[in-house]
Amino acid sequence: MATLLNADVEILKLARLVGAEPKDLAYLRHLDAQDVRDLREQVTVVMFDADRKMLQRVASAARLIPTKLAAVVGERAFGPLLCARLTGLLEPSRAVEVAGKLPTPFLTDLAAELDPRRASRVVAEIPPEQIADITKLLAEREQYVVMGGFVGHLSEAALRAAIAVVDDETLLRTAYVIESKGSIGALVATLQAERLESIIATAAQAGLWIEALDVLGHVSERQRGQLGDIAAGQPDAVLDGMVRTATKELLWDDVLPVTRAMSDDSRARFAALKSIHTRPVLASIVDAASRHGLWPELLQLLPLLPAAARRQVAALGTGFGRPVLEQIVRAAHERSLWGPLMQFATELEDRTQVLIAKLVAAIGDDVLDGMLDAVWELRLEPELARLAAQLPKAQLKAFSERLLAQGGEEFVVALRESAEEHELAALGAALEKT
Amino acid sequence: MSTKALGALETELGGRAPDGLDALDAQGLRALTVLLHDAKARQSEALDAAVEQSLEFVPRVMRGSVRKILFG
Repeated sequence: MATLLNADVEILKLARLVGAEPKDLAYLRHLDAQDVRDLREQVTVVMFDADRKMLQRVASAARLIPTKLAAVVGERAFGPLLCARLTGLLEPSRAVEVAGKLPTPFLTDLAAELDPRRASRVVAEIPPEQIADITKLLAEREQYVVMGGFVGHLSEAALRAAIAVVDDETLLRTAYVIESKGSIGALVATLQAERLESIIATAAQAGLWIEALDVLGHVSERQRGQLGDIAAGQPDAVLDGMVRTATKELLWDDVLPVTRAMSDDSRARFAALKSIHTRPVLASIVDAASRHGLWPELLQLLPLLPAAARRQVAALGTGFGRPVLEQIVRAAHERSLWGPLMQFATELEDRTQVLIAKLVAAIGDDVLDGMLDAVWELRLEPELARLAAQLPKAQLKAFSERLLAQGGEEFVVALRESAEEHELAALGAALEKT
Repeated sequence: MSTKALGALETELGGRAPDGLDALDAQGLRALTVLLHDAKARQSEALDAAVEQSLEFVPRVMRGSVRKILFG
């Protein structure tokens, strides 16, 4: 869904470039967004270079005339589109001076035609007050794509001035179509906590969770955690809207990293949300984890879910094949999540438990050490015992020998007791024999 | 995809079109080519007209030098 929406944005930008309506380019909607973007980049070069010789001469001639006259000629003879083509060819300080003599509505029209990447130095030197005036007008005209093109080229002061004059909805819609997504972090960094709270509330009220989740996918891990904590502080109704959107639009791959980055308390509050305990939502979460390798994030959430929801996830895990289970075991090792894995594994049906038990039995000595430490620390001997007991006889014997060798006497005694308590005779015997 | 239609578009683009455009049929490729061709033509016409008009704003005393830079 997000890809389709981005293709629409690219079509909008391309249409503006060639002076067409987006509907005239509807046949491009079937293409991948990246291909439309590549096409748009090519067309940008073509349009900006098409009359380069003459534009260069005009830029040279502009040096001869006074600034005020250059502004008059620009406004009355050339108009916003040709001035936009010229901007990057002028000396930046000269272009800024000329801009200072032009009325805001004209500059707003010019901004709509400009490729800020081709006039980055000029854009960066425009005074913040003037940027704020232009932004106000662009916002009134709902020119989100235009504004999104400028983020990343404005000075920090200008960015702050621009943000101060737009409402939360405009900010969200603009952030969604920012040309250089890497600049979203810088944009978020300028916002105070109160503004971020207000933006999240607006996302819920205005139905802009797609936009808000996209932002969360492009900020730093620290910012993601900060935003996640703010979101977790919102009422259930607000978060329920986010859950609905993430499920409907297949955006859990944006949400799961947020649960990773948020505080323990926020994660627990999020996991307690009733709206995520339903089968369709959990299925969507498991699907995202599977498609995007977000198993550590899912493993982190699992112990926080109520038992009924965990059982639902376990039921969804029934079809996991060996490659997926290998990923999960690797995630448990790499992120020290053996506890959640052990607890989850014992909730799976027998066939999948056997597969996990075999994978665990085959892990290297270093990895086994880490797992045994986690089991001992979290007192998960019963879970390990139940899992190990799923192994076929020969593998059970070999694994038991490794447990004895690496686990230490105290650990094996505890494991043996668990085997006895859960009537796992084969495991008990294997541990005795060794 | 039509090789001929793609060739015409690539001429307008001045280089190889993105691979994904292979998915367009000849009609789509032609529409895109016409759109781009017309946009370039409109821009050139507008620029020529603007350059002519701009001289009217330049004081007579400077007009010669400006014209020389513009038209050589």
